[in-house]
Formats: sequence, C-alpha cells, structure tokens
Amino acid sequence: MTEQKDIKQEIVITGFGGQGIVLAGRILGEAVVLGDHRQSTLVQSYGPEARGGACSAEVMISDEPIQYPYVRHPDILICMSQSGYDKFIEQLKPEGTLIIDHDLVKPRGIDRTFFSIPCTRMAEELGRVMMANIVMLGFFTAITKAVSLESARNAVLESVPKGTEETNTAAFNKGHDYGLAVLKGREKKATGKAGA
Amino acid sequence: MTNFNIILFLCGWGPHAAYQTLQDNGSDIPPEIKMVRIPCTGRISKALLFKPFEMGADGVVLAGCEPGSCRYGTGTNTALNNVEDTRGILDLLGLGEDRLRLVTFLPDEPEALLEFLTDFVSEIKGIGKSPVVPPHKKTPLVGVDDLIKQTVVAYDVYTCLDCGKCTSACPLTLAGKPFSPRAIASTIISGNIDSPSVQNDIWACLTCGLCYERCPSAVNFPEFIRDIRHILKKSGSNGHAAHGGFFQSLMRTMTSPDLKIKHWEWLPEEIRTDDKSKTLFFGGCAPYFDIFFRNHLGVKTRKILVDSLRLLNFFDIRPAVLDDERCCGHDLLWSGDKENFLKLARLNVDAIHRMGVQEIIIGCPEGYRTFVHDYPEHGIECNFKVTHIFELLEREIDKGAVGFKKFNRKLTFQDPCRMSRFENCADLPRKLINRLNLKGFTEMQDRETGAICCGNCAWIGCDSFSKAMQVKRIGQVHDTESDLLVTACPKCQIHLQCAMEDPFLGEELDTKMMDLTSVLAKTIQWE
Ligand code: SF4
Ligand code: SF4
Ligand code: SF4
Repeated sequence: MTEQKDIKQEIVITGFGGQGIVLAGRILGEAVVLGDHRQSTLVQSYGPEARGGACSAEVMISDEPIQYPYVRHPDILICMSQSGYDKFIEQLKPEGTLIIDHDLVKPRGIDRTFFSIPCTRMAEELGRVMMANIVMLGFFTAITKAVSLESARNAVLESVPKGTEETNTAAFNKGHDYGLAVLKGREKKATGKAGA
Repeated sequence: MTNFNIILFLCGWGPHAAYQTLQDNGSDIPPEIKMVRIPCTGRISKALLFKPFEMGADGVVLAGCEPGSCRYGTGTNTALNNVEDTRGILDLLGLGEDRLRLVTFLPDEPEALLEFLTDFVSEIKGIGKSPVVPPHKKTPLVGVDDLIKQTVVAYDVYTCLDCGKCTSACPLTLAGKPFSPRAIASTIISGNIDSPSVQNDIWACLTCGLCYERCPSAVNFPEFIRDIRHILKKSGSNGHAAHGGFFQSLMRTMTSPDLKIKHWEWLPEEIRTDDKSKTLFFGGCAPYFDIFFRNHLGVKTRKILVDSLRLLNFFDIRPAVLDDERCCGHDLLWSGDKENFLKLARLNVDAIHRMGVQEIIIGCPEGYRTFVHDYPEHGIECNFKVTHIFELLEREIDKGAVGFKKFNRKLTFQDPCRMSRFENCADLPRKLINRLNLKGFTEMQDRETGAICCGNCAWIGCDSFSKAMQVKRIGQVHDTESDLLVTACPKCQIHLQCAMEDPFLGEELDTKMMDLTSVLAKTIQWE
C-alpha cells in the first residue's frame, strides 16, 4: 500500500476499449489535480482498433512538476483485461500494488499478493456494465489511498454524463466499500481473527 | 411503626408450628414481618415469589420443611429451584438476590426461627428500602361501552363483511378451538362485550395477524383486540396470563425509575462495547428468559445477544449498551396494560437520548416493531434511527470480502410474526440465509407473511389449542426434512421448545433449533 504523500507514483490502468479505461485515468488525474492540488499527467494509448482492442492509461501523480509523463515501472498496476495484465505485469515494481478484475483476469505466473474485485460483475448488478471502471476507481481509492476519497468522488460526479450521477456514485461507493472490507479482512486475518 | 415490609411465606406444616410457639410465648417477632400461611413451599411459584417485590416489598422469605420432611415429598425441591431462579431475576433487576431467602425449620425450632427473622430484618435494613414504586390503587373504569364503541369505530370494524375469511385463516380455529375472529367482531359490534365467549376469547387471540392478512376489508383485528384488551383490563378482567403473570409482573416492576438494573453484567469478557459510541445495541429480555426457564426448557436465548454483539464486533462496530435497559414493553402493550407500556417506553427512550445515540440496533423482532412502530404511534418520539440487526448485517456483508464456512445442515425457517408479517420484512432473513454455505434450505408450507405463529404472544392465553397448533407447526418443519429449524426471535425458541417438552409427543417433536444470528456468527469469516 502506498501513502498519499509519496513524492511520486506511477500508475497504469489497462483493459480493452469500451471499458472506460482512459476515462478512469482522466478522472483519477483530475481528482489529484483539482481536488488534492497535486500534479498529474495522463498518457493514453490504444491498440490497433479502438473498440475492443487493448488500451491503457498511464497516470503520474506527484507533488513536484512532472517532467516526463511516460510510465516505465508502475507503482500501481490496474488490470481489467487478461491481455493488459500479460503485457504490463513484468513492468510492475517488485513492491508495487497489483489490482485486477476478479472475473476477467487470471494472475498467472506471479508469486506476489494482489487485490482483486469483481468490478464488472458488480457494475452489471448495479444495472450498467459500463460502470465497471467507476467501481474499480472506488476500489483503487480505498486500497491505495493515492487520491483522497472526497476528491475522487467529486471527480466522478464531474465527469459522468448528467443524470447518471446517482448510479455512478453508487458504483464508486460499491467499489470503495469493497476495498475497505478487503483491507479489514486482511488485517483481521493477519491477527488471526477471521471469524466472529 | 416501621416502613419496611417483609413477606414471610410460611408453610403450614413444619415451620408454622415453630412460628405458633413464638406467638404463644409472646416473643418479639419483628413488626416488619408480614406472615402469609401457605400449604407447601412447592406451591409458591416464581410469579408468587416475585409478586411482593412488584408491590414494593423489601424482602421475601419462603419458610418450609427440610427436603426429607416435606409433607408432599417434592415441595422443598421445587421451592429450591423457584427461589434460585427468582433470585437470579432479582439480581438482573438490580434489587439483589439477598432480598429473597429460602429457609427450613422444624416445628421444635422456634428460637432458631426467631433468630433468623431478626437477622433477616436487619440485613434487609442494611440493604435499604426497595426502589420499586408500588402500583397505585386502580380506579374502576367508567363508560366501558362507549370506549368499546370508539374502538370499533377507530378500527372500522363495521366494514366487516361477515365473510369468515379471518376465521378460516386463524391458526387457533384450525387447531380445533371453538374460536372465531369473525364471531368476536360481530358480537362486539352488536354491543355484547359482556358475553362470556368474548370475555374469554379476547385473551386467547395470538395477535398473530394472519386474519388481518386475509381480510378483504382490512380490519386490523390484532390491534383491535389489543385495544379492547386495554379496556377490559382496566375494568377488571384478569387477562389469562401464562406463568401466573410472572412476566407482566416483571415488566411492571421495571417501570420504577430508581431501579439499578444490571442488564448486561453477565456479558462475556471478549465482547467489546463502548459507552461513547453513537450506535447502541438494544438486546431485549433474553437474559430474564434464560433464568426463568433454566430448569424447565433450558433455553439459551442470551446466546443470541452475545452472537449479535460478536457479529457487530466482527465488523469493527463496538456499540454502546444500556446498562439499565428495560423491557421495551411489547408484552404489556399486547396484554392490555398500556399505562405501564408507556412508562417503560419513556424510561427507555429517555435513557437512550441521554446517551446521545444516533442509531440503535435491535435483534429482537418484537422490540424492533415496538420501537419503529408502537413508540411513535403512542406519542413517544425517538431522535434516533432504529435498525434491525439483519438489515445492518446484510448491508455490511454486501460490501464484500466476507464469506461463510460450510455449515452441513438442512435448514428451514420460522418467521417471527412481528418482522415478517407486521413489518413486512420476510425477505430480510432470507437474503442472509441465501448467503450461507448450506447443505440445503427448504421453506415450510406456511411461510413469510403467511407463516404460522410459534404458539404464544405476550405471555397470555396459552392453552391446549395453542399447543395443538404448535404441534402442527413442528409437523410442517418435519415435512421439509430439514435438520435445523432456524428462528429469528428468542420467544419462538422458547414457545416451540415448550411444545417439544410434551410428555407424550416429545420425542416425535424433537427438533434442533438455532437463531439465525447464531448461525451467521458461527460461520461468517473474512475472505
Ligand atoms: S390474530 Fe391470529 S390468533 Fe388472533 S384471531 Fe387473528 S389469526 Fe386468529
Ligand atoms: S375477514 Fe374481515 S371482513 Fe371477513 S369476517 Fe373477518 S373481519 Fe370480517
Ligand atoms: S408455550 Fe410454553 S413457554 Fe410459551 S407461554 Fe405457553 S407454557 Fe409458556
């Protein structure tokens, strides 16, 4: 887990087109800049075909001006597709944080702890599979604390289409609650108190 | 004269002879002692042992014969159990068990008896006056007929179509009791409240609400009955209380504001509470039930409270508890004593307000219904949110990262009438059950808003027909081929367990029971 006031954090969000990967990156960057008054950059890259192809967003967060916006070794890697995972997993720093969609990504070939959330399924249950990225943002906020809760929530509200604020806030909260629950569960297990 | 009152229940056999010797010799029997001669200590039920305390007595002595010398064989043993249970209740109430004593004397021990009485009086003086306020003398009610009429109007019973749907739904009628809500309604409408059948049947209704569920005219029969009970009670009806009226007596005693109740003193060490928390857990009367039924049913309903708190702790919620928590008053309200119900309601709500609590969590379905519905309806405003523990658990579990260990049982579920039917929350326990990792879950034939009552409500009118109804209900449990009956109300466990004690059908009826809270607490885990 990374503290909010780390000098610099490099983040990669990856998935396929249509999942709102770039939007998630943009919301994150805006939250950091407009809400937390820190520096941030966003680089987006698409695969051969925009919709359905591989796609990723590279986000830098820093307290200092950012000179070079390209992420080489992410501190945090968020994977919402298997191909994205396969492509970026080698670059994740050894002490970095891995976050995946529980149903879409099988974290093969690694020996490290990671966080997973069935965000696509949750978004579906909330009525719109399109909101998986927002659920993931909520989860990311709870797990990494790289951005403050309030800024992230406000940035979501600012960025989603008018009329969908309520469902998107619900999606964000869903992911955030899940993140807090996961952290609490780990803490309880670590102290040997998994049951009631 | 003294203002201390100590009741001496004196068995007419052994100790009475000793007492008589004292009287004959003109000995100094302390004036605080008020003697009541009884046939045998075994006949003094817990209700009778407790009654003097409700009336404000400072101490009670039950004096009988040594175990081997009881004229009737088992009297002294019965008395031992009754006294022990009642002492436990006095302790919870904060009156202190020392105010009640069981002693035995032989006819030729007058000096020993006198010495004991003198010592006991000074001991009681040492403890001090009882904080219980004796009930004031009742003034007879005037204008009963008008009040009845007003109640008929208030519940719009005139809209009754005489269709009989209520009677054909009533579980008491179906158990063979000559009892008909339709007939009760029409007899009362036609002004015959004094008819013997009505006077009896008013106290037999379980107020389970099945009739209301079916009535095409939406006559709220259970609440109508409830309000008629208040009128009859005030005009002197005795109200057919179960267990000699012990529970009503207990609840009325709790209306004394100066009692230092110790509702939670028994709580296990590992349970974490926090008196500064803005969330309060309201437990209900289970601790009293367990003491009262210790020897008869052996129920452990206190466990439900512990497991509720365990679950809250599991989610890192450390709630406050009300040290002097009182009964919510549900049973007084439904058995005809609105006056004392209101006193309990005020005492509880005031105490909760003083703690500055924003939300209370309740596990008992009757308490839940009473707080969310009956308090406001009777003008008791609550400045806090009332949440049923299932609601809270569903919310927390739904956040994720929580799972359930395999529980190798086939379950079925007894709906509590106050939750499933009255508050329309039948889906709430089912959502939780569906999250469990079970061998199976099968519903009973009558379920959810149509479920059959566990056999009693508000500790009145328990009879052979309500027993027959319980037997039927347990038959439905067995039809599901489940091996565990899950309940969500401590009283469902008590009343159904009681049916299973039937000396003839006992083994046939035997069914394992567990509260849903306990099933959850036993199997929940962080993933
Ligand atoms: S409330 Fe229940 S017991 Fe009473 S009359 Fe209606 S169905 Fe019968
Ligand atoms: S079901 Fe309703 S309308 Fe029909 S007899 Fe009963 S109270 Fe009257
Ligand atoms: S069913 Fe048993 S425990 Fe319940 S009121 Fe009747 S006698 Fe008492």
